[in-house]
Amino acid sequence: MPADSIRDAVIIGGNRIPFARAHGAYAGASNQDMVTSALNGLIARFGLQGQQLGAVAGGAVLKHSKNFNLMRESVLGTPLDPNTPAYDVQMACATGMEAIGSLANKIKLGQIDSAIGGGVDTVSDAPIVVTDELRGILMEANRAKTMGQRLKALAKIRPGHLAPQAPGTNEPRTGLSMGEHMAITADKWGITRQEQDELALASHKNLAAAYDRGFFDDLVTPFKGVSRDNNLRGDSTIEKLGKLSPVFGKELENPTMTAANSTALTDGAATVLLGSEEWADAHDLPKLANFIDYEEGAVDFVDGEEGLLMAPAYAAARMLKRNNLSFEDFEFFEIHEAFASTVLAQIKAWESEEFCREKLGLEAPLGSIDRSKLNTTGSSLAAGHPFAATGGRIVATLAKLLHGKPGKLGFISVCAAGGQGITAIIEGR
Amino acid sequence: MAQKIELPTLGSVYRQAAADAVKSKLSSNGSLKALPKEAVVTEHPGISAEQVEQYRELFGGEAFDGVHRQSLPSVLVHIAAFPVQMALMSRKDFPLPLLGMVHLTNSVEHHKPVYAEQPLEILARAENLRPHRKGTQADIIVEISAEGQLLWSSVSTYLGRGAYMFSRSEHEEVASGSREFSAPSKTALWTLGADTGRKYAAVSGDYNPIHVSGLSAKLLGQPRAIVHGMYSAARMLEGREPESAGHSWSISFEAPVALPGRVAFAAEEKDERTLAFTGWHPKKQRRHFTGELKLPQS
Repeated sequence: MPADSIRDAVIIGGNRIPFARAHGAYAGASNQDMVTSALNGLIARFGLQGQQLGAVAGGAVLKHSKNFNLMRESVLGTPLDPNTPAYDVQMACATGMEAIGSLANKIKLGQIDSAIGGGVDTVSDAPIVVTDELRGILMEANRAKTMGQRLKALAKIRPGHLAPQAPGTNEPRTGLSMGEHMAITADKWGITRQEQDELALASHKNLAAAYDRGFFDDLVTPFKGVSRDNNLRGDSTIEKLGKLSPVFGKELENPTMTAANSTALTDGAATVLLGSEEWADAHDLPKLANFIDYEEGAVDFVDGEEGLLMAPAYAAARMLKRNNLSFEDFEFFEIHEAFASTVLAQIKAWESEEFCREKLGLEAPLGSIDRSKLNTTGSSLAAGHPFAATGGRIVATLAKLLHGKPGKLGFISVCAAGGQGITAIIEGR
Repeated sequence: MAQKIELPTLGSVYRQAAADAVKSKLSSNGSLKALPKEAVVTEHPGISAEQVEQYRELFGGEAFDGVHRQSLPSVLVHIAAFPVQMALMSRKDFPLPLLGMVHLTNSVEHHKPVYAEQPLEILARAENLRPHRKGTQADIIVEISAEGQLLWSSVSTYLGRGAYMFSRSEHEEVASGSREFSAPSKTALWTLGADTGRKYAAVSGDYNPIHVSGLSAKLLGQPRAIVHGMYSAARMLEGREPESAGHSWSISFEAPVALPGRVAFAAEEKDERTLAFTGWHPKKQRRHFTGELKLPQS
């Protein structure tokens, strides 16, 4: 297809519920409750009641099996026209980015005119499952044809089989938690405690300032009595952060990762409305920015060849090359703060001549990122990180930052479990 | 020279060992100072598809779908041969006491693939009785073949702890195994539940009491149950052995892994064909094992 037949995918706006620390304000809310509420807020804000959209896509990382059709069930609970198709997407912490990026592509190709992308996650209502042994026995009993066979199967149940199994954030192939993986990468890149604490502090200060100046007024709708991300500590100081003990990489000579420079477990949902230019105009909707491009990346982390959360470093290089851009061309950088060290390791990698030559195959390093352009309204360390909701939070935030700056570019990087990640470019209008 | 035997069951071997322990095989006259010259050999009907699936349930890994993966893991082949090793070591003319025997090292040449349900001939013989600082050690050689072709061979070195069969100076001259250890950067963390020994026992048939529970381990003088050494070998190799075989690997055991417990693990590429492995206690900086896998030249 010739390039001139691809039309713009416009980011019209976003809505999310405030993110809340796990096992707190949203402890009684399910994924479906939260994403439905976020969708309802978006629908109300842009007057989408009764409208049939091209598609609604999103997902959750921690999902109950009963939520196999999470997004479709959620759409049916909103005032959208029930003829609006919806489907679930899952790419760990990059779920929201993948949902939004692929919807933007469908709009660009003319397959659909409008879409909502996003994601949701709750740690407070995580799916608890039974052990593999108990499941095996129950399935065997289910297959039994006679009562005798059924009882024989059930008689195999032992007390040890009954322990509930909570989902972990450990990587299945290494058994290491994401924090432990990150601690190894941070150590390899020589990232200091001071730099990490400074980044965490900046995240809190920036998010608090953005709330105070009303930046989130048209991006966030209160939920269950919460009107601001309740992980936010606007009054934190570098001294307070410096007092915390390390929680990851404790066996290292110089452990640097604390509860403050690592994201807290949080619950929340975020959504983004996308459309073609014509559709936005026909419905008299704002056009904040264009979704230009996105790139997925993956690295071989299993035996430590590359750090678990370093895939965006590779995706960025390919994406910039394809678009003939360099970091100097960007006005804002949104690098998801899974951990402060995740952001710092990516930045150091892009600055490293050796990394860019050996790993990215570039003649010169990608260069530095101006810190005054980085996560200017806070990021996950302050807001929290309900895994699949983070992409929607970032896209809506960055689109708003770029609105009224036609042609100015924003860069997004989101790392994900399984050694994956996504980077994206959006352009103000 | 080889004595043909029926495929033994490990239960009968352990019962014999317990009986021998009561009789104290190491008689004071020291009449047994040599390894049996005779090998034992047995026909194995083949590793059952059911056992292959049990092994996979324990260690994870990709499905044995009969197309993309059918070559059996080296440690499962070792499991098939283990009763034959034990039959040899429980013979009346084997000089080291079976109970309390410590597995020191294991090295395997996996020449050709071994498949499920493939009838095998398994031969075991003992070699190289020699002093160790803490007793006497011997090598058990295992050769597994099918239709006259050698598929798999191994050398397992065992220590008869406390069995001092050589002169005092000969035992003392053997260098101690303790070396300085600085932990590499870990690439994985194994979390082993209290039932890990029982689970491996259920797959391997090796219900050695030192592995199955804290209580039974205490009877043998271990404060807690310890994991089978070959469990660690299996995890170390999972997903890394080539389907067409032709590889070799080894493992040297150091401090035992107490259950429940965690093992920090590192896989490091030494060169294009060689991976080095280390397992250690994540807090105490005590090494549990070192290992190596050498892939065939492609």
